[in-house]
Amino acid sequence: MQKGLKLADILTTIVISVVFGIVYKLWGPFYYFVKPFGLHIDQFIYGMWFIAATVAFLIIRKPGVALLAEIAASSGEFIMGSEWGLEVLLYGVIQGLFAEVAFAAFRYKRFDLFVVSLAAIGSTIGSLIMDFYKGYIEALAPWNLALFLIARFVGAILISGVFASSLVKALEATGVTQLVRSAAKEDFDQLNR
Amino acid sequence: MRWDIRYRETWLHRTNPSLKLLVMTGVFIVVLFLHNPNVLINLSIGLLLLLFIYTGYPLKYLVLFFLPFFVIFVSTASSMTLFGQGTTTWVQWGLVHITKESFLRGMHLGFRALTFALLGLIFSLTTRPVYLFYSLMQQLKLKPKYAYSFLAGVRLIPIMLEEFQTVQNALKVRGADHGGVFKKVKRYAVPLLSQSIRRAQRIAVAMEAKRFSDTTKRTFYYHIGFSRYDVVFLVSLIGLVVLSYYMATVFPYIPVTDVR
Repeated sequence: MQKGLKLADILTTIVISVVFGIVYKLWGPFYYFVKPFGLHIDQFIYGMWFIAATVAFLIIRKPGVALLAEIAASSGEFIMGSEWGLEVLLYGVIQGLFAEVAFAAFRYKRFDLFVVSLAAIGSTIGSLIMDFYKGYIEALAPWNLALFLIARFVGAILISGVFASSLVKALEATGVTQLVRSAAKEDFDQLNR
Repeated sequence: MRWDIRYRETWLHRTNPSLKLLVMTGVFIVVLFLHNPNVLINLSIGLLLLLFIYTGYPLKYLVLFFLPFFVIFVSTASSMTLFGQGTTTWVQWGLVHITKESFLRGMHLGFRALTFALLGLIFSLTTRPVYLFYSLMQQLKLKPKYAYSFLAGVRLIPIMLEEFQTVQNALKVRGADHGGVFKKVKRYAVPLLSQSIRRAQRIAVAMEAKRFSDTTKRTFYYHIGFSRYDVVFLVSLIGLVVLSYYMATVFPYIPVTDVR
């Protein structure tokens, strides 16, 4: 066995992430379009920026994919000229890292809704750490901060957890995921009978 | 991203991409831990000058690129200004509570977002992705399999946009262009993703056959090295940060040194 990810895995991850990089870029204007409504409605849709990690991992199912996907999607967004500039790269690294930790906690063996939601929560924590340094969020009025946190966590679970896994289910139905996943142990058992 | 806009090549374009990325990340981290609004305002002015004078793009395009940043400035500054904590009340109206502290903090956040955006814009306007990844492989020893995958990914963006148009037209013809945001995202994402995965698999096979993943004794088509422009870049960015601090202590705009 070759150590680490193979070129095919890396390329597939990056290409998936480029698709989400475009989504991330388009999500920016949408985000500041809903922002003026106030009361942190914008935080509900923040979770879209965590989706590359969970979708890529659900498709390829290998260690390191979640981190790579989030970095690639954020650099795609960066190269296309994101309104937030350099900060998206750093956010991407940290969000990816925390999503990766969630998948690693189950030794990359579980691919169900629970672990994906956990990864979404992980990415949210990562983004909050950045916001803590960058955005002084702790200085918001308490009721406002609570609203902010709830909106971001709920939004993240719904978008990067529930929506991501339903997206991958739809992709599985097209049969394309068979191309990238290594054959499962049960498949070999079938052959050995 | 490179637009098809005529631009003049300046010393910023000739700086080593890896060095540029590292130095800019350094400035980014300095700004992240910067709580003095005076320094931040000076730094933003300096970066603004760098953008308008030394990126070599025509003024009207620079103004056009700059417009969204203004929106970011306002939207970043507004929620801290309106809902932040503070003691010296200016306006109290329902849930809105503007204090002197929250206003200053809001403005600081606005300028911070502006600085990050300027750093990013200066970088992406003056760096070609191809040179960036070649430089990352040569100077920062990024593994070729990652760098070439990234380059292939960047190359696929126009093809994906074209495919996006195709899907859009197909949906329109079938009268399926209604529904909620997530239904819509899914309708576009499933064909785009599945085609991309198939394409990635084909490209990966070709790249592996051509030994793009090989790491031993690799030669490069582009040789990216260092030049005197790198010294100019390093000195001017460090100078900018030092000058911002110096000017802020000698000629402060506002008598506040920490917005926390």
